[in-house]
Amino acid sequence: MGRTHECDDACKIVSVPQIATIEEIKDEIVDVKTFYLNIDDKDIASKFNIKSGQFIMCTVFGAGEFAVSLPPSPENDRFHISVRQVGKVTRALHKLQVGDKVGIRGPFGNGFPFEEIKGKNVIYVAGGIGLIPLRSSIVHVLQHRNEFGRIILIYGARTPKDLMYQYNIDEWLKIEGFETYITIDNPVPGWTGETGFVHNLIPKAKIPVENTVAFVCGPPVMFNSVIKVLMDQGLSDDCIISTLERHMKCGIGKCQHCAIGRTLVCTDGPVYTYRQIKTLGEQI
Amino acid sequence: MYRIKKSDIVNIAQELSKEYGIFGPYIDRDAGQVMFDRLDDLSQIDLDAPIPAIPPKHVIYPHSECILKYSYDPTAKKAAIERIHSEKPKALFGLRSCDLEGIRVLDRFFLGQEFVDEFYLANRKKVFIVSNTCVKPFAQCFCACTDSGPSAKEGFDLNLTELGDEYLIEAGSEKGKAFAEKIGLAKAGDEYKDKKKKAIDISLDLFTDFAVENKAWVSRVTNRVTTGFIKEEIWEYIGNQCFECGACTFVCPTCSCFNIEDVNIGSGATERIRSWDSCSYEGYSKMAGDHNPRKPVEDRRNKRFFCKLSYSQSKKYLRPGCVGCGRCAWVCPGDIGLPNVVTYIRREITK
Repeated sequence: MGRTHECDDACKIVSVPQIATIEEIKDEIVDVKTFYLNIDDKDIASKFNIKSGQFIMCTVFGAGEFAVSLPPSPENDRFHISVRQVGKVTRALHKLQVGDKVGIRGPFGNGFPFEEIKGKNVIYVAGGIGLIPLRSSIVHVLQHRNEFGRIILIYGARTPKDLMYQYNIDEWLKIEGFETYITIDNPVPGWTGETGFVHNLIPKAKIPVENTVAFVCGPPVMFNSVIKVLMDQGLSDDCIISTLERHMKCGIGKCQHCAIGRTLVCTDGPVYTYRQIKTLGEQI
Repeated sequence: MYRIKKSDIVNIAQELSKEYGIFGPYIDRDAGQVMFDRLDDLSQIDLDAPIPAIPPKHVIYPHSECILKYSYDPTAKKAAIERIHSEKPKALFGLRSCDLEGIRVLDRFFLGQEFVDEFYLANRKKVFIVSNTCVKPFAQCFCACTDSGPSAKEGFDLNLTELGDEYLIEAGSEKGKAFAEKIGLAKAGDEYKDKKKKAIDISLDLFTDFAVENKAWVSRVTNRVTTGFIKEEIWEYIGNQCFECGACTFVCPTCSCFNIEDVNIGSGATERIRSWDSCSYEGYSKMAGDHNPRKPVEDRRNKRFFCKLSYSQSKKYLRPGCVGCGRCAWVCPGDIGLPNVVTYIRREITK
């Protein structure tokens, strides 16, 4: 039989949500807010450990539940989620105030590789709010800076106002040896950085190909053009890693809404290599 | 092995009813259909009735079920969540072998993967199963093609086989054996093994008369469905006939997809309802923001039959996802029940 324990060594909240308090709300970009959360039950909170790349199911009381990726690093980072208001439940979440309660189940999903990629060059390519799920891995890898090779971030958004985690980017730009390329689609007055789509920036970054993994996340159009450029540069499809998004109801592999090919995004994913994605035989 | 006079079979249900709520097949005169549901009047049980219109999966996996209740007071910032339990003892009396196999598929899926579905487990925990051998197939049956009949091999507590004016009763579990001993059923000698085998052989022979149109050569198409070597036109042809009504999924003994919705019931209280869902609906995979990776109907049809017939799914269920009950062919307004789909794919292979 599979797992039923709500809390053993590694705590997983499976069926009944745990109540959490919104400690702080930060406005990020238009329609996106970051919510800092604390699980009320101290015992469960102390055992609630995440891996970067995992997700939780978040209940907005009276509205419903939605799947959301986890941007915090598993080590020394405040627990938070960054959410764009786009449907009924996320709109209801955006109306909540500091002190309000939400429900949390999880963490679910396989997560990004970490130990496996030590010693390698790591490239992050993100578009728009695609930076949200990648943030966890970026921060985690930076916390272990000397265990990795070159670390490169290529991040683009439509306008400067659409850049997620501006305060993190400001810090990242100052970190020596963290190669960051930030771009916006079209030039605007006052913008002195790069312009154009992210995939066009990849050649400029002179990315390494040997002993390298690339994490890619963004809208499907961006994803496809980035993959093409990375492959053209010589990166192999099993070194390109992405995280997929699907409609989810349960998070534990039962409702089947997130089925893609022979896999379920909630339990087999959400992290896949591009080699795996190609064999799933479905749209991204 | 035990035996009982045919006319006394209801006594077993009577005995079971002391401990369990009885669910069994009966003919609903108003609807003119065979149903499988909770019965207070046990004389209504009709073990000769054709397979029920809707499989008994709803007894352990309800159409719609409240799994949690919660309340939130936004002023006091107080939330309370309550899990809803339901562990009522239930006896499924006179289950056909295809439907039993369906429940076994659901068991493996809900209880045997990485996570256990606690709500399913609660419903399933105290269930007593009395299966019923089909001594003759019904018009839409093809369980002989899917290795799920006409007689159950395992998974029951008791199995009934009609032999003339008697029923042979086999115990398939300790629980079943203890019950049979407790109520003092008459023992059946070894000669009943032969009698049962003969009855099953006759039943299998009847498939060629009754079920000529229903042969589903499942094994032949599994490889194609698994590897995806099926022309897009075939799925388009199948997709064009799909009304997206979802009936095939709701009458399928193994379909288990569900939706979850939080329904406000007033005074700040909410019920989390989970209800059957269908992968044939357009909204099934649609995400907030309207991105829908499975928009075309043929993509969704393709996935349903992948789920029923592919090798990777069979690994999860330890058998094909189809149990040969034929209900999908029966209810489909577009004529794309599983046997027909298998035929279309097969026709393509043999071309």
